[in-house]
Amino acid sequence: MRFSDIALWAFTIAFFVFMILPIAVVVVISFTSAGYAAFPIPGWSLKWFARIFEYRPFIDSLWVSLQLGVVATVASCVLGVPAALYLSRARSGWATAITTFLLSPLSMPMIVIGFASLFFLSALGFGVSFLSLAIVHTVICLPYVIRTVTAVYRAVPPAYEEAAQILGASRLTTFREVTLPLIRPGIAAGSLFSFLTSFDNLPVSYFFGSAQTTTLPVVMLAYMEHQFDPSIAALSTLQLLLAIVALVVADRLYGIEKMTVAT
Amino acid sequence: MRLNRRTFLGTGAAATGLVGLSGLPLRAQGSTINVTAYGGVWEQAIRDCFVAPFEAKTGATATVSLGGPAQWLAQVEASPENPPLDVLIMSPDLAVLAAEGDLMDEFTVEKLPNLANIPQEFTDACLGKGTYFDYGVGGITYNKQIVSEPPRSFADFVERVASGEFIASVPSISYGPTTVFFLWALNNALGGDVDNTDPFFEAMAKMKDNLVFWAGPNDFFNHLASGEADLGIYFDGRTWNHVDEGVDWIDFINPEEGGAMTAVAIQKPKNASDLAWDYLNEVLDAGNQAKFAEILNYGVTNTQVEYSEKLASRVTPLSEANLPPYAEIARVRNDWVDRWNREIGM
Repeated sequence: MRFSDIALWAFTIAFFVFMILPIAVVVVISFTSAGYAAFPIPGWSLKWFARIFEYRPFIDSLWVSLQLGVVATVASCVLGVPAALYLSRARSGWATAITTFLLSPLSMPMIVIGFASLFFLSALGFGVSFLSLAIVHTVICLPYVIRTVTAVYRAVPPAYEEAAQILGASRLTTFREVTLPLIRPGIAAGSLFSFLTSFDNLPVSYFFGSAQTTTLPVVMLAYMEHQFDPSIAALSTLQLLLAIVALVVADRLYGIEKMTVAT
Repeated sequence: MRLNRRTFLGTGAAATGLVGLSGLPLRAQGSTINVTAYGGVWEQAIRDCFVAPFEAKTGATATVSLGGPAQWLAQVEASPENPPLDVLIMSPDLAVLAAEGDLMDEFTVEKLPNLANIPQEFTDACLGKGTYFDYGVGGITYNKQIVSEPPRSFADFVERVASGEFIASVPSISYGPTTVFFLWALNNALGGDVDNTDPFFEAMAKMKDNLVFWAGPNDFFNHLASGEADLGIYFDGRTWNHVDEGVDWIDFINPEEGGAMTAVAIQKPKNASDLAWDYLNEVLDAGNQAKFAEILNYGVTNTQVEYSEKLASRVTPLSEANLPPYAEIARVRNDWVDRWNREIGM
């Protein structure tokens, strides 16, 4: 083996150790028997996982986060897929400007979006509510759907759709039978990113928290600031598990490789 | 059931339809008030010590919103005519800002009979539109296994850290209360005042090679637990919470000059429900506060409270803590942060 190959292997291993070790430490701490977070752990226990179910706000906010993730993802697809299809084929300067505008939440500080949205939606009468949260989360998830669907759709030759229409298919049939199957990996990838972005979001959700609408990251932050036990590590381990399950489901349904190509 | 694309998407759409029906704006209702709490043990203590007696006496309901003062104040600022919250827990500096912004109602003994037992200076510190109900003191927490003779004063702390005898963990500027319980407290102890922070920054320059910075309270504990630091600036109540969780190697000292009192204020937004007064009166009640203190290991402000023997030995008496001039600090805070960023950077 050449020296350059050895160096590349060493770098790759070091890179993965650097990336994965902190996560592994959190997972290990979630199984500690101690009443505080420290590594190495003195003994093994599942009590911090039990604590998650004892502490009602964890479960209530988890439910809110799951609902919100689903609503924001579906709304992003409903709004984002048609926009992506149109903007992918459009050639005008306006189309470029609108695309940039729709993608702009990616480049804005989330805390600014959250703060501004709170005042804007309160002025409109939506106030601190699940509806407000869903609107703002849709705004921040939309770019992921538009980005991934646009990337896939631009690689689809227009001739496919033209052929369907020449053969007598209506616009709706063409979309359902030709376009949709072709852009499905893009929708799947965008949906996955949207859900995970919404589920993990703290800076935007922070401004819309109430007794009924507090999301899991906000509760985790509030808990960590005033409690020192390892239940947050246990909760992080469960979140990690949820993300892995989401990826496995996505892989079974669409194939991770196709989704990676889409991005 | 076999999982395929059609069933997966169909289930998702159905779930979306159901939850979409429940997304109505939060509004205070006649017999319900919305109160606030920090997370974890704080939230449970708020429910047990204040919400439960309030609900028992009034027959009304109090829902508890978890989060932090900046979030709650922003929500009230966004809807001052119809605030989504009826009672706010606030940091002292934000309590002053909220009072100056005329967003809060005035506290009087007529509205809150238990206010008579709270030192007037705590209500004055909130410009009359709120008061303090709970407090901690920032001092020196140390690892007993490493530090056999801890510094007893801020001055001693600075000298011994500067000489390299200890590595100290101190709060970074990204932690909100740092300007008060560390910067102001140390500066005050070293002879400075609100308009002259040279003593603090000179001390930091002397200690800089032997300092590590914590961004959040959990970092401080990790610094001590990992051996990265020997001692540092921390809170009394948080130290005792660690001790109660089984950490038997830490201890706390209130410096001879007196640590800074870091208080928790309560306020009622204008246009919030009048039921909030009943709740606030429960928060200021001596019996409820004593129970609250027992759970959190922090001092409370009602002068009629009698602590248990264990807690009495832990809580720093009001007379041994310094009440920072929060309103004056708010005036110069940005300048302090700017100087910190230029000279210290963390």
